[in-house]
Amino acid sequence: MSRLQGKVACITGGTRSIGRAMAEAFLAEGATVVINGRDQAKGEQCIQELGAGNRTAFFPGDASRQDTVEGLIDFTIEKFGQLDICCLNSGGVKNTAPVAEMTDEEWQLEVDWNLNQVFWGMRRALKHMLPRQSGRILVTSSVEGKLGKPGIPGYVATKHAVNGLVKAAAREVGTSGITVNAILPGLIETDIVQQSGPDTAKAMGLTYEEMVATFAKESAIKRPNTVEEVAAAAVLLASDAARNITGCLFPVDGGTMPY
Amino acid sequence: MGMLDGRVACITGGTRGIGFAIARSLLGEGASVVVSGRSAEKGERALAELGGGDRGHFVTCDVKQRDDCEALVDATVERYGRIDILVANAGGATGHKPVAELTDEAFEDALRWNLWHTFWTMRRALKYMLPQRHGRIISISSVEGKVGKPGLAHYVTVKHAINGLTKSAAREVGTEGITVNAICPGAIETDVMIAEGPGAAASMGITYPELVDMFAQESAIKRLNEVEDVAAVALLLASDAGAGITGSMISVDGGTSPY
Repeated sequence: MSRLQGKVACITGGTRSIGRAMAEAFLAEGATVVINGRDQAKGEQCIQELGAGNRTAFFPGDASRQDTVEGLIDFTIEKFGQLDICCLNSGGVKNTAPVAEMTDEEWQLEVDWNLNQVFWGMRRALKHMLPRQSGRILVTSSVEGKLGKPGIPGYVATKHAVNGLVKAAAREVGTSGITVNAILPGLIETDIVQQSGPDTAKAMGLTYEEMVATFAKESAIKRPNTVEEVAAAAVLLASDAARNITGCLFPVDGGTMPY
Repeated sequence: MGMLDGRVACITGGTRGIGFAIARSLLGEGASVVVSGRSAEKGERALAELGGGDRGHFVTCDVKQRDDCEALVDATVERYGRIDILVANAGGATGHKPVAELTDEAFEDALRWNLWHTFWTMRRALKYMLPQRHGRIISISSVEGKVGKPGLAHYVTVKHAINGLTKSAAREVGTEGITVNAICPGAIETDVMIAEGPGAAASMGITYPELVDMFAQESAIKRLNEVEDVAAVALLLASDAGAGITGSMISVDGGTSPY
C-alpha cells in the first residue's frame, strides 16, 4: 500500500513504542521518515531494524529541548527537501508526584517535554508548511488530555493543554491545507510506561500491576491499547483522505473516555 | 490483499451519499457489502456503479420499519454467511421547526429514521456478532450529536441519543471482540441535505445558501465535508487495526465540534 507515497515525516521520539510503530506504519505506506531519540547508538540500531535504507534517517537529541525539536524539523527539510507530516510524539513523566509534593523541576520538565515540545515543533513546522499550503501535524496526546488522574498532575495538565493548542492551531491554519490533530491513546504498556510506571503507580498509591489493571478496567475492552492501534490512526490522519479532518481529538482508548 | 478480505458488511442506506462512499471503500478492501434502500431501482443502479460483482448485494429496506431493519441484517447473513460490519448510516429529518412549533409527526419520524433504526439493526446484528466474538458497529451520527443548533431540535436530539447508545453498547460488548463507534460528520451536501436543507434553513430563519455558508464558517476549514472523509474513518474502524477503538464519537467535521 502507498497511502503516503512521496511524503516526508519526522517524529519526536520514534526509536521505540508509539513513535516507532508510527515510523514502521509510515514507511510501509511509502513515506520517508526521520526519527529522533536521545541515544545515538539506539537510533542507529533502530534505523537498521526499520530496514528502509535511505528512506529513513535519525536525528539525535532530547525532545524536551527546543534546539532538538527545531533541529529535527530543520534537518528533515534540509535532508529530504520538505516536511509533510510532523509527529510531535515524545512525552512522559520522570519523577511524578501528587501536586502537594510535586517539585518545580519535575513540573518544568513535564511542561517542556509534553507541551513546549509540541509548541516549538508546531511553530517551526508551520513556517515551512504555510507557504506550501500543505501539511499534517499530529500530536500524541492521551486520555489524560480529557480526564484527570491523581498522582500525575503535570501529565494531565500538559496533555489537556496540548489538546487546547491543537484546537486553536487547527482553526488558524484550517484554510491553508494543513490539518492539526491529536491522537488520544489509552494506556499502552510502552517501554517508557514500563520504566516510569512503578514510580507513577506509587504516586497514585498503587503497584504497577494495579495501575495497569485500573486503566484496563476503565476501558470497555478491559485491556491496554497497542502501539499498532495508534499507528493505524496516525496513518489515516497523515493521509490525503483525512484532508478534511482537523482539530480532532482522535481517541484510541478502548472506550475509556466519556466524550 | 485487502484490509477486509472475507469480511461481510451491511449498510443501511448505501445507494447514495455517505453510505455509498462507505460501500465503495469497504468493497475496495475486499469485503462483501449489502446496501439497502427503499427503491429497488436505485439499488440496482448503485450496485452496478459499485461494481462489486458477487460481493455486492442490494436489499430493499425502509429503515423506519422494525421488520425491514431486522430482515436486512438477516438477509446479509443469509447471503454471505455472517455479518462482521454494521454501518447504521441512514438518517435525516423532515418538518424542521423550532421546538415551539415542532409537530409530533416530525419528531416521531426523526426518532424512527435515526434512533430506532440504529437500535433495531444494532440489536439484531449483535445476535450474530456476539457468538462469533467479532464485530464492528459504526453509527453515522453528526456534529449535531455533540452540539445544539436552533431549529434542528429533533435532529440534534436523535443524534445525541445515538451517541449515548453507542457509548453504552460499547461498554456492554467491549470484551467480546466487538467495537461500537459513532462517526460525527460535519455538514455534507448529500442528496438528503439538498432535499431537506431548504426546510431546515427556513426553520432557522435563513436561506439554504446561508445555511451552507453558516456550516462552512463554523468549521476550521471553512468548507463542507465530503462523503469520502467519512468513508476513510469508517474503513479504519471496520478494520482489524480498529480493534482498540470503541465507544468513540469521532469528529469528521473540519474542526467544527469543540470536543
